[in-house]
This record gives sequence, structure tokens and C-alpha cells, in this order.
Amino acid sequence: MERPSPPAAEGGRPVTAGGSVPAPRRFPGRGRRARWLARLGIGVHLGLAAAAVAILGVVVLLVSVLAVQAGPSFDRFGPAFLSGTTWDGVHAVFGAAPAIAGTVLTSLLALALAIPVALGVAIFLSEIAPAWLRRPLTYVVDLSAAVPSVVYGFWAFIVLVPIMRSSVEPDLQAVAGGGYPFSGVPLGLDLFTATIVLAVMVLPTIAAISREALRATPRALRESAMSLGATRWETTRLAVLGPARSGIAGGVILGLGRALGETIAVAMVIGNIYAVPTSLLSPSSTLASQIANSFGEVGPGLEESALVELGLILLAVTLLVNVLARLLIWGVVGRTRGPGRGVAVVGPVGNSGRLRAVAGRLADVSSAGARGTAAWRLRVRASLTGRVARRRRRQLALILLTFGCLVLAVAPLASVVATATVRGGAAVVDPGFYVSEAPVPCNPRPGASCDLGGIGPAIEGTLVMLGLGSILAVPTGLFAGIYLSEYGRAGENRLARVVSFFAEVMTGVPTILVGVVVFLLFLRFDHGDALSAISGGLALGLVMVPIVTRATEEALKVVPASLREAAFALGFPRYRVALRVVLGSARSGVVTGILLGLSRAAGDTAALIVTAGGSGFWMRSLHQPTAAITPFIFGNFGTAYANLQEDAWGAALVLLLIMLSISVAARYMTRGAEAGPEAA
Amino acid sequence: MADPPKMAVADLDAWYGARQVLYEVSLAIPDRAVGAIIGPSGCGKSTFLRCLNRLHEEQPGARATGAITLDGEDLQSKDLVTVRTRVGMVFQKASPFPNLSIYENVAAGLRLLGVRRRDELDEGVVEALQQAGLWAEVEADVDAPGTSLSGGQQQRLCIARALALQPEVLLMDEPCSALDPISTNKVEALITQLGRSYAVVVVTHNLAQAHRIAGYTAFFYLGKLVEVGPTATLFDHPREKLTENYITGRFG
Repeated sequence: MERPSPPAAEGGRPVTAGGSVPAPRRFPGRGRRARWLARLGIGVHLGLAAAAVAILGVVVLLVSVLAVQAGPSFDRFGPAFLSGTTWDGVHAVFGAAPAIAGTVLTSLLALALAIPVALGVAIFLSEIAPAWLRRPLTYVVDLSAAVPSVVYGFWAFIVLVPIMRSSVEPDLQAVAGGGYPFSGVPLGLDLFTATIVLAVMVLPTIAAISREALRATPRALRESAMSLGATRWETTRLAVLGPARSGIAGGVILGLGRALGETIAVAMVIGNIYAVPTSLLSPSSTLASQIANSFGEVGPGLEESALVELGLILLAVTLLVNVLARLLIWGVVGRTRGPGRGVAVVGPVGNSGRLRAVAGRLADVSSAGARGTAAWRLRVRASLTGRVARRRRRQLALILLTFGCLVLAVAPLASVVATATVRGGAAVVDPGFYVSEAPVPCNPRPGASCDLGGIGPAIEGTLVMLGLGSILAVPTGLFAGIYLSEYGRAGENRLARVVSFFAEVMTGVPTILVGVVVFLLFLRFDHGDALSAISGGLALGLVMVPIVTRATEEALKVVPASLREAAFALGFPRYRVALRVVLGSARSGVVTGILLGLSRAAGDTAALIVTAGGSGFWMRSLHQPTAAITPFIFGNFGTAYANLQEDAWGAALVLLLIMLSISVAARYMTRGAEAGPEAA
Repeated sequence: MADPPKMAVADLDAWYGARQVLYEVSLAIPDRAVGAIIGPSGCGKSTFLRCLNRLHEEQPGARATGAITLDGEDLQSKDLVTVRTRVGMVFQKASPFPNLSIYENVAAGLRLLGVRRRDELDEGVVEALQQAGLWAEVEADVDAPGTSLSGGQQQRLCIARALALQPEVLLMDEPCSALDPISTNKVEALITQLGRSYAVVVVTHNLAQAHRIAGYTAFFYLGKLVEVGPTATLFDHPREKLTENYITGRFG
């Protein structure tokens, strides 16, 4: 393979002038191999970039499909759609006002309930809990974020609604004298219950992000505050809450995004009356719940278009909120400001002017630093002892308060697990439960027992659709994540920045919208598969893609730059550094990301109720309507039949167990990687 | 030293978990003087400093035994808040509270003490800024964020923050190691000045700095206090061979 030596060595190696220096040793086939490798490198680069671009494509697809399909409704009603208060399929008059009002009210009230508790939890976990308790408690709070919304909804319907109906709401009415905002009949299925369920669901999100923001404040600040004599509470206020402000705000806004888009749990308890709520006890609807409840029942036409327009409003709102949240969390906005709070202080006004006068008075005190004996100083010293006791009491109050918040935050999870275990435990330990089709609905009578049946087809459907989704989502997410981390470094790659941002924002888009878009696309291009395992699998895949992408990107980004540089220094081409060195050392983080995506998809209901179609039987073909675990629960949560009810609880418990094992597996994979700041 | 020491440390042992980092350290800290603590990295000099305002015990698993007195009173028997107000501390890395203005940074400690009246706060802030030699540089805009200052200014802001509480002892953990030479000069001049009215203890790995600013110097090695004495004596005629080796750069 040795060819005549060219004047310049290949690969741009400098020419060695003069014949005295021997030419560098050449390896057989090197030239061709180098060219081939270069082409491979370009190919890999393009392939990875294509995956990243595909993510942008999904965003564009979502927006454009919804916009096109909302067209007829928009043409018919125009801007008046926003203020219309009826949903009348018979006369074809549709308006969004009740859904918008319900969405905004439930979300904002839920935030108002959740924020103080979440902050308390974050403070307890970050500042107060003893070191050995931090990790397990944090884990439990994080777990409550992983409970699927259909399970929360089921729990709320069975446990929370009766309590609301029989005691909480009548009590509140008694306190409010039966008047506003607690007028009306306490049904339990209303705006107020939905608000509480939402608060329970967004609490762990806000708590987790706030906790991270608190932990991220430098230790030097804490110690500075302590050195000024600050108690733990004062240290938290002075050195932790202040600097973490924008991170906490980001967590709150992210929670708002979740609340706005939460579909299934709300649809199960809000009462689903499409009217502008007049009281907290009004049964109502939200944008998402109205779509979830009606989309499957309407055929193509104006009503479907109106529902899609609701979806478009929901998408716009959640995108906006998520963009804002990300900007806050990533510290693009809300950077440090003085306590002038927006008032620009220019020149010697404000504090400066006053202080100069003070300085004038103090002019005789030499800056050599004689310890003065101003009267206030003596007074402060004298009052120190009394104040210290008060400050200690305040500190104790804080500890008790934040601990109370933690208990409040963990209680729903405990109740969910307990309820599911009691009501579904018997089904879960019965092997027949996993291999039987859904039973004939029945209630036990004296002398006759009911067949329990099972959720075999639902498990099968969920697994098949998760598999289909993974085929789509894992490679796409993986490649896109590698591209974002390895080719988008140093911020010079604008495409990567945009994709990364949108992938993150995508994780906050309500999945019902993904389901609607997939359904509409199939309806348009592949009518027969609109309600099928294929359609459901695609929807789940789209739910997973952004999660896997971002998780991969984050996992790769924590690989130290020195490792990359070492590999580059050995002459590795970029694609090999990315694929072998970096991906290799971040393997466990990447797998965790995939698990996270699977977990979210397995627990998702909203995308499946409009795509999978549902079925009580084993799957015969991918092209037919398919059962799945979450739609099974959603379809039977209010059933009057004992055996179906028990199956639904069994299914809920199975879901919880799946979530738990995925989360444990993820913990196990990353156990070494999170020594955390405690170890510092 | 005719006066009784401001602080006295006797038989101080300190641990991080199972690892002992200080062994039977005994040292008297005189009032109105600058003391330097020198020694190689990991010799326990920072831990020693952090014991003096009981910051050491804030870390999980950290503990200490031995007696430390402030004006003859046992530190452990006193309230933590009182200890910290009387013994101030400045850290290696300037750490102004990032969300507070220059004014509020200095006033933070006073507010904790319950000072509410505007004129009292003003007086405390101006005096602290003057003592820290920062007043002239920031008087035009004390409402700017503390983090908008340069590194050296931020460090002096932190000194002002500590001084605002009118502490009796000022502890400084490598206060200049993150600063450029010009800022270092300013802070060193400030330390010398503060030493006329406070008991100042400075941890430093910079021998020349210890020589420049300190009236007395203590040399720590492997968690033990090897030698302490007037700076000039310790540098010119060390009693211990270890000290001599360290000072002449044979290890460290």
C-alpha cells in the first residue's frame, strides 16, 4: 500500500525541509483510512445534528398541526372564542371562557397553597434536617413527584372527595356563612378539590427545584452569615433564600406550568361542568380536562376544531410559562439587584446622601478605627441577652414549621400508597391478575362471587407501546443529547442552544396535546391506525424524546473537560471522543435518563386516551385499538362494579411499583455520582 | 505581655469525624495585636481559627475539646450568637451577600442585633466602611450591589461587614490569597491598622505577609503548634528545627 511520498505529509503535517531529516514513518493505508475516518466523523456529526433538529421539528409540528386544525373554529368564532361561555354541540356554539377561568383559578390557587409548604420542605431538607436524614427524605419527596397523575386522581376521587364533601367543604361554608367564595352545594367534585389535588401534585416539583437552588448557594455565604451571629433561620434568610431567589421563582413558575397543563387528575375530580365557576364549590372544567373528556367523543367537525383551539391556547400558555421558568432557573433573568428594588439610584441620593451627612458628623472619628462608644452600641450590647432568647425561639418555631411542611408534603404519598395497597394488594399478589383479560363487570351477591379478571392486556399494551416509543425516542434522544453536549459546547453553537432550550420546554408541554396531534396526524395520513398501538407508541415516544435528550445532555456535560482534552491530545477525532470516551464514562447517567423517560411515559395517561383507543382483550395486531394500564384506570375509576374497582386499584399499585423500581434503579445507577455538597 | 490575653486556648483537640486535625494546641491571643498563623496546607491552621468563633462545630461530624476563653470566660458556656458577635471572621473568598447592596451588606449584622433606627444603622455603616478604608470608594453609591465591587473592594466590604458589629477579636482566614498585589497591599495596611484596636488573628500561607503584618507568629505543623513568638524572633532565630526548615523553604 506504500505510495510515492508526497511533498507534504497528509493531515497537514508540516513539511520537514531538507533531506537529512528522515520522513515520518507512514502506516500502511493511513491516507485512505484517514479520509474514510474524516468522512465518518462528518457523517456522525450530521447524524447527531439531524436528531437535534428533529426535536425542533416536533415543536414545529405540535404548533402547526394544532394551528391548522383550530382554523375552522377560529374562522367561525374569531377572538370571541376567548370570551364565549357556552359549549353547545347541538347549536355548534363554542367558547373558551369557562375552561380558561377554570384553568387559571385552579392553577393559581394551587400555587398559593403549594408554595409556602414547598418552601418549608425545601428549607427543612436543605438547611435543617440532620445530614443522615437529608438523602432519604429528599428521595421520598422526589418520589411523590413520580406518582402518575391518574393514580393521584384515583386516590383523590376515592379518598379526598368524600372528605371534602362531608367535612371540609361544609365546615368552610359554616365559617364563611354559606356565602362567597364557598356558596353552592358541597359536592366534593369541584374547583376546590381540583385545586387541592393540583397543589399536592406541583408541591414536589417546586420543593425539589427550590431545594436545589438553596443547596447551590455557596458555603462561604452561609459561614459569613453565621460569623455575624446569625441563627440558622437568620442564616437561611440572609445567605440562602436571598441568593436563591431566582432559582426558587423558576421552580414556582415550573410548578405553574405543570398545574396549567395537568389533565387527568383534574378531569377526575373537577366535576366537568362547562360553566364559568361562580364559587370555589362549583363543578367546572379546565382547558386540559375539557379536551380529555370530550376529544374522544366528537367526530371531525367544528366541535373538534374548537377543542383543538382550546389545546392551542393551552400550548401557548404552557410554552410561555415554561420559557419563563427556564430563563429564571438558568439565571438569564432575575440576576442580583440591590434592595433598591427596581429604583435606579443615581448619584448622591437615597442612602448615599444621608450617609455623607453622617460621615460629616463622624469626621472627628479618625479612620484609624478607635472603638467608639456611641450610645446605641451600649444599648445593643445590653439588650443582647433578651434578644438572643427571642431569636432562639424564632429558630425553634422555624424548625417545627418546616418539619410540619414536610409532614404535610409526604402525607398524600403515604395515603396514596396505603390506599392502593389496601384496595389493590390482593389483586397484585394474584398471578391470574397479570394474565387475565378484563372481567365481566359484576358485584358480589350472597352465594355468588365475582370473577376478578385482570389487566393482562393492559400490561401487554403498555409494554408494546413503551417498546415502540423507545425505538423512536431512545436513539433520537440519545443522539440529540450527544450533539447538544459535545458539539454545542462553549455556547458558540446557536442551534444547540436553541434545541436544548426547546427540549427542556417540551418536557413541560401537556401530554394531552402530544396525543391530540398524533391522533390528528394519523387521521389525516393513515386513517386506520389513528386509534392503535402504533399511534399510542408514537405518542409515548414523543413524550419521551425531550426527557431523554435533556437527561443525556446533562449526564454528558458533567464529564470533566479534562477527560475530553486528554482524548483530543491523543489525537482522537471528535466523534470518537464523543461516542467512546464521553459516552462511555457517562453511561450510568445516560441510562438513568432513559429510565426517567420510560417512567414518565409508563405513567402517562393523557397522551394514550386519545391515541391508544382502549380494549379489554389481548392484542391481535398493532393496528387495532389497544389496552394500556393508565387508560384502564382512567376508564374505571368511577365504576360501580366491585371487581373492576379492585382491578383498577391493582393496576394503580402495579404502576406505583413500576415507578418505585425505576426510581430505585436510577438511584442505583447514579449512586456514586451524587456525593453532593455535603461531602465538601 | 503584661495585659491578660484577649483569648486563651488550652489543650485544644479537634476532629472531623474520626480524623483528628488538631492536637493539644495551647495559645494566648493578646489584645490589640496582629497575630499570624503559618504552616503548610492541611496543618490545621484554618481549623484552629474556626474553633475560635465556634464555626468549626457547625460542620457535620466536626467536634473539638479543650478550653477556649474570651476575656477569661469559657467560650462553650457562652451563647453562640454572643460569641460570633464578639469574635468576627473574614474568609478567604470575599463573600458579600449577592442580593444585598453595599449598605445592606454592612448593616446586615446590625439588623440581626436588632438595630432598627435609621440613624443608628447609618452611623454603624459609615463607621465600619471608614474603618475598612472603603468609604471613599463607595460613598457615591452605597446602594449598588455588593457584588458590583472589585475583588479587593469586596474583601474590604466583608471586613467592614464584620467590623460593623464592633467585634473584639477579628479572625481572618487567608484574607489576601484571592487578591491581586495592589489589593493585597491595601488589605495588609488595613490589617496593620486594625491591629491597633482589635485582637486580629490572620491565617496565611504567605510567609512574607506574616512578616509584614504580624506582631507575633505561630507555626503549625501536622495539627500541632510547633512554635509561637514575636514575629521577628520566630523568623530570625527559630527555636525549633521544624520552624527553621519551613521558614527557609526546605519544605512546605
